[in-house]
Amino acid sequence: MNRKKGDKGFESPRPYKLTHQVVCINNINFQRKSVVGYVELTIFPTVANLNRIKLNSKQCRIYRVRVNDLEAAFIYNDPTLEVCHHESKQRNLNYFSNAYAAAVSAVDPDAGNGELCIKVPSELWKHVDELKVLKVHINFSLDQPKGGLHFVVPNMEGSMAERGAHVFSCGYQNSTRFWFPCVDSYSELCTWKLEYTVDAAMVAVSNGDLVETVYTHDMRKKTFHYMLTIPTAASNISLAIGPFEILVDPYMHEVTHFCLPQLLPLLKHTTSYLHEVFEFYEEILTCRYPYSCFKTVFIDEAYVEVAAYASMSIFSTNLLHSAMIIDETPLTRRCLAQALAQQFFGCFISRMSWSDEWVLKGISGYIYGLWMKKTFGVNEYRHWIKQELDQIVAYELKTGGVLLHPIFGGGKEKDNPASHLHFSIKHPHTLSWEYYTMFQCKAHLVMRLIENRISMEFMLQVFNKLLSLASTASSQKFQSHMWSQMLVSTSGFLKSISNVSGKDIQPLIKQWVDQSGVVKFYGSFAFNRKRNVLELEIKQDYTSPGTQKYVGPLKVTVQELDGSFNHTLQIEENSLKHDIPCHSKSRRNKKKKIPLMNGEEVDMDLSAMDADSPLLWIRIDPDMSVLRKVEFEQSDFMWQYQLRYERDVVAQEEAILALEKFPTPASRLALTDILEQEQCFYRVRMLACFCLAKIANSMVSTWTGPPAMKSLFTRMFCCKSCPNIVKTNNFMNFQSYFLQKTMPVAMALLRDVHNLCPKEVLMFILDLIKYNDNRKNKFSDNYYRAELIDALANSVTPAVSVNNEVRTLDNLNPDVRLILEEITRFLNMEKLLPSYRHTITVSCLKAIRVLQKNGHVPSDPALFKSYAEYGHFVDVRIAALEAVVDYTKVDRSYEELQWLLTMVQNDPVPYIRHKILDMLTKNPPFTKNMESPLCNEALVDQLWKLMNSGTSHDWRLRCGAVDLYFTLFGLSRPSCLPLPELGLVLNLKEKKAVLNPTIIPESVGNTQEPVNSTNNHGQSVGFQNTFSNSQEEEEIDMDTVHDSQAFIYHHLNMLERPSTPGKEQSSGEINMHPVSTAPLSVFSKESNSSKHSDHHHHHHHEHKKKKKKHKHKHKHKHKHDSKEKEKDPFAFSNSPASARSIRSPSLSD
Amino acid sequence: MPRPGSSERGGAVCPQRSGSKQPTTPADNYYLARRRTLQVVVSSLLTEAGFESAEKAAVETLTEMLQSYISEIGRSAKSYCEHTARTQPTLSDIVVTLVEMGFNVETLPAYAKRSQRMVITAPPVTNQPVTPKALTAGQNKPHPSHIPGHFPEFPDPHTYIKTPTYREPVSDYQVLREKAASQRRDVERALTRFMAKTGETQSLFKDDVSTFPLIAARPFTVPYLTALLPSELEMQQMEETDSSEQDDQTDTENLPLHMSTDDSGPEKENASVLQQNTSLSGSRNGEENVIDNPYLRPVKKPKIRRKK
Repeated sequence: MNRKKGDKGFESPRPYKLTHQVVCINNINFQRKSVVGYVELTIFPTVANLNRIKLNSKQCRIYRVRVNDLEAAFIYNDPTLEVCHHESKQRNLNYFSNAYAAAVSAVDPDAGNGELCIKVPSELWKHVDELKVLKVHINFSLDQPKGGLHFVVPNMEGSMAERGAHVFSCGYQNSTRFWFPCVDSYSELCTWKLEYTVDAAMVAVSNGDLVETVYTHDMRKKTFHYMLTIPTAASNISLAIGPFEILVDPYMHEVTHFCLPQLLPLLKHTTSYLHEVFEFYEEILTCRYPYSCFKTVFIDEAYVEVAAYASMSIFSTNLLHSAMIIDETPLTRRCLAQALAQQFFGCFISRMSWSDEWVLKGISGYIYGLWMKKTFGVNEYRHWIKQELDQIVAYELKTGGVLLHPIFGGGKEKDNPASHLHFSIKHPHTLSWEYYTMFQCKAHLVMRLIENRISMEFMLQVFNKLLSLASTASSQKFQSHMWSQMLVSTSGFLKSISNVSGKDIQPLIKQWVDQSGVVKFYGSFAFNRKRNVLELEIKQDYTSPGTQKYVGPLKVTVQELDGSFNHTLQIEENSLKHDIPCHSKSRRNKKKKIPLMNGEEVDMDLSAMDADSPLLWIRIDPDMSVLRKVEFEQSDFMWQYQLRYERDVVAQEEAILALEKFPTPASRLALTDILEQEQCFYRVRMLACFCLAKIANSMVSTWTGPPAMKSLFTRMFCCKSCPNIVKTNNFMNFQSYFLQKTMPVAMALLRDVHNLCPKEVLMFILDLIKYNDNRKNKFSDNYYRAELIDALANSVTPAVSVNNEVRTLDNLNPDVRLILEEITRFLNMEKLLPSYRHTITVSCLKAIRVLQKNGHVPSDPALFKSYAEYGHFVDVRIAALEAVVDYTKVDRSYEELQWLLTMVQNDPVPYIRHKILDMLTKNPPFTKNMESPLCNEALVDQLWKLMNSGTSHDWRLRCGAVDLYFTLFGLSRPSCLPLPELGLVLNLKEKKAVLNPTIIPESVGNTQEPVNSTNNHGQSVGFQNTFSNSQEEEEIDMDTVHDSQAFIYHHLNMLERPSTPGKEQSSGEINMHPVSTAPLSVFSKESNSSKHSDHHHHHHHEHKKKKKKHKHKHKHKHKHDSKEKEKDPFAFSNSPASARSIRSPSLSD
Repeated sequence: MPRPGSSERGGAVCPQRSGSKQPTTPADNYYLARRRTLQVVVSSLLTEAGFESAEKAAVETLTEMLQSYISEIGRSAKSYCEHTARTQPTLSDIVVTLVEMGFNVETLPAYAKRSQRMVITAPPVTNQPVTPKALTAGQNKPHPSHIPGHFPEFPDPHTYIKTPTYREPVSDYQVLREKAASQRRDVERALTRFMAKTGETQSLFKDDVSTFPLIAARPFTVPYLTALLPSELEMQQMEETDSSEQDDQTDTENLPLHMSTDDSGPEKENASVLQQNTSLSGSRNGEENVIDNPYLRPVKKPKIRRKK
């Protein structure tokens, strides 16, 4: 509904408008990790016959719902908890992805759905018909949440405040439903009142203004009262509670920073820069920061490094650093700037629907880019753009495309705009995390393309317009229909652009926004001496996956002897060749300065160039105004000129990469010169180091002089009097610091004729370590030392092994012995004097894995496993886990794979769980076309279970599991499964034709219910006889059809059927959970005793009666549920698995 | 006669009383000789006082008293000297001791110069230790005037004379760096090996745990603290580099601490800039007190109101 483009503005998918919500959390128990509270939503019906209100809620135990003080019945149904019904034997990912997308749709607030369906008491129907206000009051509790709210409770002595225990909200996209019932959509805005009662030693930080803090009567707790008067989506509500240290920003008193105990000095230093970011954004947007205050909270075990919410941002505590740390400083500042950009676009201005997400991500990413340009300079900015461009291009070519603005028609599979992907892009929650990262990357690059088209001035005017509209709307306190002005849509944004700039950017949007894929250019040229014309040939590859055809203007810059000239070529369907007239005649003798693009005139040694041609170098699309990859052929001397004289860092980097293919003395000289040139951008110089190493290796037989870079390093960083000793560290000059760090790492990649690292280089690096002296340095040398260890690791070459002998100390290579000696000492010293972020431990672990992999040290994951345990610093854990993942792959260890998968399920830190899956996907133990002893049925089942039900508390994790499953087994049924079931796959393909109609709305209402119930039985039969005849397979297959159909049915049922009281009375009565007065009185008595499991049981006793047949559906439960089950065999959790079955019988009626 | 020189000796002798009774060792001989001398002293004093004869027991008792008295002077003077952190008692120590013991010091010179005093001849020396010629080196120092000639000779000069050696401090940059580096490495190695020996370890080689002992990884309860906070060493270092501007290369007198690089010019500038910055932010911190920020406001007392 809301997805239609047009000028109609925002049409809410919900039959009501939410205007205000109260969230009150009156008890937080860190010991039990539980939360008790209530919410109250003020709702105005927009249709007369509203008798059901659907809200989002996950994990929460809801034990009482009242509408206008009348008890209301409700059901709780979350199909995403278990995507495919119980022990269905379906194991192909295609099937899962469809079912998962259907399940997410079924609770998608943007489709008017929700997990929690509240029945408006019949007494109020008249009231509703008059469209009068409804107050929905929901009491809920949360016990050991697995997602949405994260508790960090260090296991030590002392009170919770002394331990530094804290809790914070987290999640991927709209995940607020995990911690309180709400309309978890970015398009439903309302004002908020938030109350948190916490221990007196704690601080509760949340959105909006802190109105007051009041002690409770016993003075042991205090209540924080927040008011958020700017209409805000529930998804932008957040919370952080902990014994935070408070720092009021010295420059902006309305900004407050919070960090965990003992870190205040770091917080002071880290945030000392923030005011400049504020000033920058306010200036370019000519708009004040929209909220009256801003809070930054730095917490441990963060879900993501940066999370932006209305008027507050939650950061990882690991971003904090002291003044001694160089490397982290720019990274942290970038995170702060990113968070702040999202305050304007993402928090204050929200989106209409998921398909408009790209606008917000694009704008916030774009203005963040402008900040980068201003802060770190044009070089850094262009380098970053190039990096992002390379990333998105590589990703799209690999996976087949990223679509910014998907338009979905009717849900037919044919229309799926992303059929090349193994997941649905209809919902943020079904997206692979990597895809989403790349999506954001593409979004801001496209914004930059729009800027190129309409100028930055207009661009900023558009942003300003969006902001002022929103700002006007937000001040309309009582006109909630105006609030939709605070939502941005693709069409609204484009209209704004056309109004402001008067330009038509539709072709650009069509190419990059409505369509996926990037452009792949191949360029080559010939110089026609007679005509003095450059004949440029530009080919495109638009048939490979992830590519698209480009038609339109393309800029080409030609540097000739007489200057630099821009040409705009028109790329058309058939024209490959382009003639570009040259301006200068070739000449050799005239000694004249050569003008460059930037007006500079330089002397060049022209002896290297072709005597007949005036061309120095050619660049295609130098401004990166197309999302493309260019492979251009020009001679080595042209690349060398480009490297030396082109002033654009992107051109220099391209030239360096190209020179790898030309290992000649001239290339060597050009690279060395760049390395030495202090005016040159440091990243270019760093890149040149690695290229030089590669060239040196290619030239190894003819290389003269000391190993590459050695004399250079000696000249730059060693003492004049004793060249073998490095100067004591002085990192005041950051450019040379980065170069000093990088050169040894690159040098260690040098190889001699035997393909070994030259002894001289190894000794050199060992000396650097030996003589490293940081006593007089203002800055920490931890990153430098870490890179020296990386250098040692880089120098390792495969061990020469005789007869696969077992690696022991006795046959240890003497060089390796020296390396090990250093690593041992470094790693041990870390225990006594730990370095910042344990960078040295990280490097040591990586180096040890390299030694293991190269056969110098016996391959053994035990060491890494000990470092991977909970309680180590997150960077160390990731490094250790990476080594275990690698071991799993190389040694094909089933045991380690199991260990990793167990950790995915049980580790307390969500980021680690996500990262393990991510690393397993990137470095898989096997892939779908590979024979591997690891690939067996048990693993398939295990992973299936993981993505089907084991990861329902974390969207990101579930999508990570899907990614891994895809990498290991592909889209279709895993080949390692027993043969008889192969028939089923084929069968399914036929059945797809059957499955499809079920998605179409028309067929839903009439025919499906009977099938539904019978199939439930067929399913269990099929389960018992796995190797059965085709008859039964048929049944199983029908069942799978039913499975997905059930969700879709549910989804459509809720949507399509008007919930008129008369018609639904019967089924509604059964569906609804009648809240009798007797149990309620029990509830209210106990409501403060925090024994919520009891309430819970009561409810489910009643459910139970209606679900005898469906008991088997409750196999998948959260852990805590199973504990309860021991106490009470009839207890059911509020798990949607159970809730779903409430529905089933009624359908079969 | 109480003399400063002898008092110390008396003190030194005391512990030797418990030695063996057989007068065989030189120490025993000295002891007997001193005892005899004291007896002679007591006898001559008695004669001076006009006694003509005395019972042996009486002389013995007086000798004992005299010896105790002298010993006490010695002991006490030693304590006084050590109290002021010296090892050699001075005259003033003796004086204070005597005063403390109730002796009127001022009468001492007059007493020493009394006309009727008797001079005792040197005691016969027994068992003079013979120094082998081969071991004598140099000339033994003669006794200073206040030491009677019969006292033992000074030992050979080489046993007590010290020759202060002023070696040029090593100022060669390379050697210094070399030394600092290897010293640090040795310390680190020894320390980590010690830690590894005394605690749990992990090993890279199954068959060998001692060659490359790795201190076992131990999880922290609050891992981010150690990872983020600068160590005390670094803090100290930061203060040092902040306060003391980096020294010039020429100053190599104090070797271990002053090894600097060739170029310290830009550092100085930047260091001073940084100091300015810190002072700036310092002054801002002072202003915070007047800031009205909701998180700094006092927590309100609960009102008497109905909670919903």
